[in-house]
Amino acid sequence: MTQQEKTRERLKKLIIESLNLEGMTPEMIENDAPLFGDGLGLDSVDALELVVALEKEFSIRIEGEETTREAFASVSAMAAFIDGLNE
Amino acid sequence: MKVVITGIGAVSGFGWGVEKLWRGLESGATSIREPSVFDVEGQRTTLVAEVGPPGPDAQAEIDDLRNLSRADVFAVIAAREALVRAGVDAGGPRTGVFCGGSTAGMAECEDFVGRIVGVHPGKPTLRLLASQQLNGPGDAVARDIGACGPVIGFSSACASGAMALGAALEAVRSGDVDMALAGGADSLCRLTYSGFNALRSVDPGVCRPFRRDRQGLSLGEGAGMLVLEPLDRAVARGAEPLAELAGYGASCDAHHMTAPHPEGDGALAAMKAALMDAGLESLDVGAVNAHGTGTPHNDQSESCALRRLLGERSLEVPLTAPKGALGHVLGAAGALEAVASVLALECGTIFPTAGSTPADPDFGIDLVLDEGREMFRGKQTWISTNFAFGGANAALVIRGLV
Repeated sequence: MTQQEKTRERLKKLIIESLNLEGMTPEMIENDAPLFGDGLGLDSVDALELVVALEKEFSIRIEGEETTREAFASVSAMAAFIDGLNE
Repeated sequence: MKVVITGIGAVSGFGWGVEKLWRGLESGATSIREPSVFDVEGQRTTLVAEVGPPGPDAQAEIDDLRNLSRADVFAVIAAREALVRAGVDAGGPRTGVFCGGSTAGMAECEDFVGRIVGVHPGKPTLRLLASQQLNGPGDAVARDIGACGPVIGFSSACASGAMALGAALEAVRSGDVDMALAGGADSLCRLTYSGFNALRSVDPGVCRPFRRDRQGLSLGEGAGMLVLEPLDRAVARGAEPLAELAGYGASCDAHHMTAPHPEGDGALAAMKAALMDAGLESLDVGAVNAHGTGTPHNDQSESCALRRLLGERSLEVPLTAPKGALGHVLGAAGALEAVASVLALECGTIFPTAGSTPADPDFGIDLVLDEGREMFRGKQTWISTNFAFGGANAALVIRGLV
C-alpha cells in the first residue's frame, strides 16, 4: 500500500467516524467522488467538523478558503493535500 | 377574502401521516406510553406520546434528512404531506412559511452537552450543536420545498402553533403571500420533560382532560403543517379546499408565569377576538377543540371561559380535547390540533376525548366521549384554543365548507 492509499483509508474511516455516518463503510466511499453536494451529500457543518477532526488526527493546520475548497473536493484530493503538508 | 386550508400534514404519537392521526383520534385510543428517546427513570411520570419509527419506505425518506434535527424532520415530513394533499409540487417566490415551536433542536443540543461532560456516549459533533436554533424547523421546510417568501418562527410556548397559523392567515389575507405553509413542530427533550415534571404539571398516568381526577398533562411530540391560500386562487388552480380558516384571535393574561387567569379572562378575550375576526358570534360555535391540558388549573380556567363565552349553550356545544390521545406537543399543539379539527370537519365526526371517565360535572361542558359523535355536515364552525404558560392565548375559527 502506498502512502497515498494509506492516507485515503485513514481519511475514509475518519470521515465516517467524525460525521457519525451510520450504516456507511470505508468501501462505500469512492476515492474521487465529490464529498459535498451530489456525492457523499455533506454540507458546510460537516466541513467544519472535518477540519477539526483532520487537524487533530494529522497534527496539521488547515487555513485559507481556496486551499480548503480544493483539498476537500474528494478523498483523493484530501489525501494528496495532507501528504503534501507532511512531506 | 376567504382563506382556505387546501393541504394538511401530521406527525404524531400515532405515527407518520394524517391517516394514522385520524385513525388514532377516531378510535379514542391514546398514543401516550413508555418512551425510548431518553431515560425517564425517577421522574413523576414516565409516560409520553413519542413518535415511533415509520415503515421502511418512510424510513428511507427520513434517512435522507440526516442533516436535520428530529423536530426539523417532523416539520419537513408534515409539510411534504400537506403539499401533496394540496396538489402543489413546490413552494415558490410567493410562498411563506410560518412555523411554531418551543424547543426545536434542544434534544440534540442536550446530547451535545451530555457528550462533552461524558454522561452520554459518542462524540459531541457540531451537527448536534447546530441543531439548536429555534427557527430550524421553519427554515428546513422552506429549503425543502423552495419557499422564498417570508419564513417566520413563532415561540410563545403552547400557543406557538396557533399563532403561526394566525400570522399566516393575516399574510394570505393581506396579499403578502399567495400561499402559506403554516404549523408547528416540537420534539421531546429533557428540558421540557424535566421542567414539567419539576413543576408537577404532569399526570403520573395518562393525561385526562376535563376529568375530576385529572392530575396534569402528558408530554408529546410531532408536527402539524397546513397549506393556506385564498379561496379564489385555490379554486382557480383546481384544488379542493378542505376547510376555511375563518378567524384568529390572541390575548395575554398578564397574570402569572405558569398559572392561567382563574376565570379565563384572557382565554375568553382570545376566543371573542377570533369569532369577531371571522365575522361570527358565540351562537355560531358548533364545536370546541379545547386546549384541555389536563392540569387542574388549565381545565378549570378554560371551562370557566367557555361558560362565559357560550352561556347556557356550554352544555350543548360538543367539546373534544385531543391531548389525552396526542399528549401536549407544546409549540406544535395548535397546529396538530388544527389538523385534527380539519379532519373532523371533513369526516363529519367529532373525535372523542381519550380517557374512560366522564367530565367533571362542575365544568358545565358537553365532553365528547367513547365513540365520538356524528356532526351535521356542511357549515360547521369549530373553535380551537391554545393557552400557554406565561399567559399567551390563541384561538382559531375553522369552518367546514358546504
